[in-house]
Amino acid sequence: MLDAFSRAVVSADSKNAAIGGNGLAALRAYVAEGNKRLDAVNAISSNASCIVSDAVTGMICENTGLIQAGGNCYPNRRMAACLRDGEIVLRYISYALLAGDSSVLDDRCLNGLKETYIALGVPLQSAARAVAIMKASSTAHINETNTSGTNPDETRFRKMETIKGDCSALVAEAASYFDRVASALA
Amino acid sequence: MKSVVTTVVTAADAAGRFPSQNDLEAVQGNIQRATARLEAAEKLALGMDAVVKEAGDACFKKYPYLKQAGEAGSNQTKVDKCYRDLGHYMRLINYCLVVGGTGPLDEWGIAGAREVYRTLNLPTAAYVEALTYTRDRACSPRDMSPQALNELKSYLDYAINSLS
Repeated sequence: MLDAFSRAVVSADSKNAAIGGNGLAALRAYVAEGNKRLDAVNAISSNASCIVSDAVTGMICENTGLIQAGGNCYPNRRMAACLRDGEIVLRYISYALLAGDSSVLDDRCLNGLKETYIALGVPLQSAARAVAIMKASSTAHINETNTSGTNPDETRFRKMETIKGDCSALVAEAASYFDRVASALA
Repeated sequence: MKSVVTTVVTAADAAGRFPSQNDLEAVQGNIQRATARLEAAEKLALGMDAVVKEAGDACFKKYPYLKQAGEAGSNQTKVDKCYRDLGHYMRLINYCLVVGGTGPLDEWGIAGAREVYRTLNLPTAAYVEALTYTRDRACSPRDMSPQALNELKSYLDYAINSLS
């Protein structure tokens, strides 16, 4: 497993060179934006169960066949497995976001995931759809742009205490990790 | 590669939980010290050639017998390799400063070093002298800020302790 710093070290080592000027600029950016990164990770982990259950609910609403007899979320046992997998994927994305590098997500979560799902008969399209919804709600939580959706009077949805748009640089990075999951399932 | 962040993530993964407040605080502590570390890494990379040369010169000055026939520095090729090895140590210390942990030194410098030096009949005291010279030669504010110097010296000490 690597983070942004050890990634720089491994690539410098392959060139047998010390890390100077240019190589340090990206790492200085990581340090300067450090607190925003922690806020972004916190936005995901604090809202994890909401993000996951929303995504699985949305996936099923769009494809109700999943919870009818014979569907892949049909008995509670398989629905529970689905929620669990959503949480696992989101957890590894939060690790990758904290580390600033996707290696932990690749090695420990995505490696062999597609093959496992094919073997178990899990519909990849539905899984990718749930990941896409998790991406939308996670980036909204990080960026403080989440809304109550269809009900304008609903005010009880969760807002983090950060400044709106303050973590926008991290949104792009977080989105890239969700995209990584989606392409691994494609 | 061991660093503060990977250690935190490994622990969280073993427990199967999202990064907790404790984890985020640990990373935050690492980030706070990062400015000094990166400064030290930058300055060391800038002066790398001079640092390696001075360290090697100091070691052959203290142990001139090394250049006698049958010793570890008996011809120019062998002497060049001594300087190259010192360059490796300095480069790994540069990496440690970047990562903020001893991972690079542990994995690429220290693991197996004792066995290699014994097999090749190399004296570790000479490396200790070279690294000690570098440690005592570095000063603040000429080379870097005091906090950065502190970080650099702690990794030099770590390498020295592993060899002595």
